[in-house]
Amino acid sequence: MDDALVVAALLLVAAAATVAVFQRDPARQAIVLSLLGLALAVLFTVLQAPDVGLAQLAVGSAVTPLMILLAVRKVRRKGHRK
Amino acid sequence: MNWWLAAACALVAGGLGPCLWGAARGPAGGRVVAQNMATLLLCLVLLLLSQGYGRPSYVDLALVVAVLGPAGTLVFTRLLGDEMGERPPGTRLLTPAVLVGAPATVVPMCIAAGPGRAAAKLVLIGVLLIAGGAVTSRAVRRG
Repeated sequence: MDDALVVAALLLVAAAATVAVFQRDPARQAIVLSLLGLALAVLFTVLQAPDVGLAQLAVGSAVTPLMILLAVRKVRRKGHRK
Repeated sequence: MNWWLAAACALVAGGLGPCLWGAARGPAGGRVVAQNMATLLLCLVLLLLSQGYGRPSYVDLALVVAVLGPAGTLVFTRLLGDEMGERPPGTRLLTPAVLVGAPATVVPMCIAAGPGRAAAKLVLIGVLLIAGGAVTSRAVRRG
């Protein structure tokens, strides 16, 4: 049963990472990236490392997408001004 | 064979997988809805895992997701606001998913844990999930 969970979490992480790589628009990429963070948190928990999962959740679910989206916004605004 | 772990496995494969599919394609609004649904499902998965492994301290992960998940969704709705449009596809699924999923997971776990601090923590997570679902579905609907 444990193996099935590990395999499911690993497959989810692999799929999320592949999808994140193949997105073109950075803002939409950030959404997939946050899903990748969630999948990694499941993987770490399944592998009995909840402390790592906790750090991954705190960084991956809210902070990284926020920084990416703020950067995208700033870059776009500069582009408009020119 | 542990039924809690089996339920968690089913939720990962049958819940988070389709959420990834929804977040990978379609308009921006639908993607944000899929991300919100994924945080809800992840919280339920972590609750089931903590019960399945018999480690009550793993519940902290679910608590963090219940707080940070809606925050992440609000970040996306705020910064993608002009691209999302009103009532993106899948919005109607959010409220029923929260109202069915949170009690369906929290109530059996409370019964298994018995009265005490652990049960109070579980109830708090359930309340946070429902409140977060209400806030995010309103924000997503407004676009």
